[in-house]
Amino acid sequence: MTKKTRYFMAASAGIVVVGLGTGLVAYYGGGFPSLAASRSGPSELSYVPADATVVAYANVREVMDSDLRQKMKAALPNETGQREFAAETGIDIEHDIDYVVAAMTTPGAAGLQQQPNGLVVARGRFNTTQLESLVREHGGVVEEYKGKRLVKATNVDHTAVNVAPDGTTVGKPPHTIVLAFLEPGLVGIGSEDAIKSSIDAQLSARSITSNNDMMELVADIDNGNNAWAVGRFDAIQSQVHLSPEIASKIPSIKTFAVMTHIDGGLSGMLRAETRDDQSAENLRQVVQGLLALGRMQSDPKATAMINSLQLSGTGKTVALSFAVPSDVFDALAKFPHDGSALHQLPKQLHELHGEALHALEAPKPPTPNR
Amino acid sequence: MMQTPTRTPGYLVSAMRVFDLSIGEMLWSRRTIFMGLVVGAPVLISVLLRALDTFGAPVFQMNGMRMAGPSIFGLMIWVFYLRFIVPVLGVFYGTSLIADEIEDKTITYLFTRPVPRGAVLVGKFLAYLACTIFVVLPSVVIVYLCIVPLRGSLGGSFLDLVKDLVLLAIGLAAYGAVFACIGARFKRPLLVGLIFIFGWEQVALAFPGYLKKFTVAYYLQALVPHAMPNDNVLSLIQGIFHENPSAPQALFWLAVILLGFLWIAAVSVERKEYVLEQ
Repeated sequence: MTKKTRYFMAASAGIVVVGLGTGLVAYYGGGFPSLAASRSGPSELSYVPADATVVAYANVREVMDSDLRQKMKAALPNETGQREFAAETGIDIEHDIDYVVAAMTTPGAAGLQQQPNGLVVARGRFNTTQLESLVREHGGVVEEYKGKRLVKATNVDHTAVNVAPDGTTVGKPPHTIVLAFLEPGLVGIGSEDAIKSSIDAQLSARSITSNNDMMELVADIDNGNNAWAVGRFDAIQSQVHLSPEIASKIPSIKTFAVMTHIDGGLSGMLRAETRDDQSAENLRQVVQGLLALGRMQSDPKATAMINSLQLSGTGKTVALSFAVPSDVFDALAKFPHDGSALHQLPKQLHELHGEALHALEAPKPPTPNR
Repeated sequence: MMQTPTRTPGYLVSAMRVFDLSIGEMLWSRRTIFMGLVVGAPVLISVLLRALDTFGAPVFQMNGMRMAGPSIFGLMIWVFYLRFIVPVLGVFYGTSLIADEIEDKTITYLFTRPVPRGAVLVGKFLAYLACTIFVVLPSVVIVYLCIVPLRGSLGGSFLDLVKDLVLLAIGLAAYGAVFACIGARFKRPLLVGLIFIFGWEQVALAFPGYLKKFTVAYYLQALVPHAMPNDNVLSLIQGIFHENPSAPQALFWLAVILLGFLWIAAVSVERKEYVLEQ
């Protein structure tokens, strides 16, 4: 190798090292996520803010192409909603959306009831002009935020009120839904705060990928699943508003993960991690009890379904796997078309059906006063 | 008189010797001028965009929206590097590894050396890889440094840059191996190579079904961290039928392509009788 070649290679390597070094320093300055964690999940997670408490993913394309979906489509052929949505927005959910990433954060206005901040990021093929005009038609305004185009639609509900902890009521602030064109083929939908923090998260590298706890949950999702959700259980609990009595009975669950694979049937797993081993044991016993109760049903289909549930897990982990075979869906799909199945319904139901029909007779139009 | 026994060096040592000999030759050849032009274009464009942006010109507006630096960078990786530079460098260099020696009628000198014939090809392939990697990767880094800070952050796109660099190196290796094999087996390797990248790969990717699995681009595109642009009709069609293998699957098949084609090329060079036209 000549000296000239060596110099060239050294200079070339120098440029690469300087570039990588600069990027690494900038990356470190913006939060250093775990490298193992950052490899997991879709790349759109970079748009999910680091403080998100629930993250979900659905491979819409795979779900739409699945046999299960085809069966459902055959069973319910008159899906007008989807057609109307396509006509309005130009988005054919069946073909145009590849996958969606959804997230929820719970910042809430100080002192007021916690308002979840939802965010949905969808990857696919979108007619941006049609989407933008649709929002504009409904009074939306367009603005730019850090180089991204946002289309805002504000909904003011004068009757809605928030209740403060001291019991006083205050009018709810106007609710703004924002549609953001994040990248070509990538749109974000959510509240204004959620969308802006999403853009900030991506630009500053302070996204969920720097939240090691959440990314470990994402990393544990098996590759074969086409829909999943992970999150902190307390975030869900705070939204459900359980009474203190019931809340105290629920074993203290820290995190949860739901993953499912949809093809001909439906299979998946529900996994929870409790704060300690004792809580996990309590939870296992509760679930075991519920399963035993379910097996006491006389319906063989329900029993078969319950038998497909498998409880497992050690230490702080409790896992419940499930599998609903395609036969079950086949049977359900046949049900409305099968007249014989109707005869199995209780007699009272038939009577009720008759009464309901009678009650639904068209009213006579009033005679105009002339 | 006793003859001094000559020891044939091992396969790897032989390959490294050929590499050492070929790298300089390859780097300072006329072909490098072409490579410089091809690789310099995105660098020039990014410097120009950066300069225009500094002076306040509205660069890269799409649907009234100013694209952010990371999106432009992603677009450039797709359009310039992945769809053009990597396959074109692969075809020009890969097919010439043996073809040039035949054309210059110097292959005889290489084959008379006490090195395995296959090691000649492997050494030349390594030289090609070093040569292209040392030219392409710095260009990507310069584009990253120029473009990404436009309404974006270097830190936010750092992982994408690392993925891009690895991806492009893998792409150069995989395409290089395929075209080295074509160069070792076919009489008009450049033509076959061009038909492969601009004909077969484009068409196979645009059709639904399993045909795309017989392209390098199918596996390479699965590793790209940026969204696929819909910049022309063919891209739009490819986008519709776009389905990605998982990253481990893509890496596995790229490794199979690289090793498989390189092995076939080395075996071909070992066995083939090259007849030099007088």
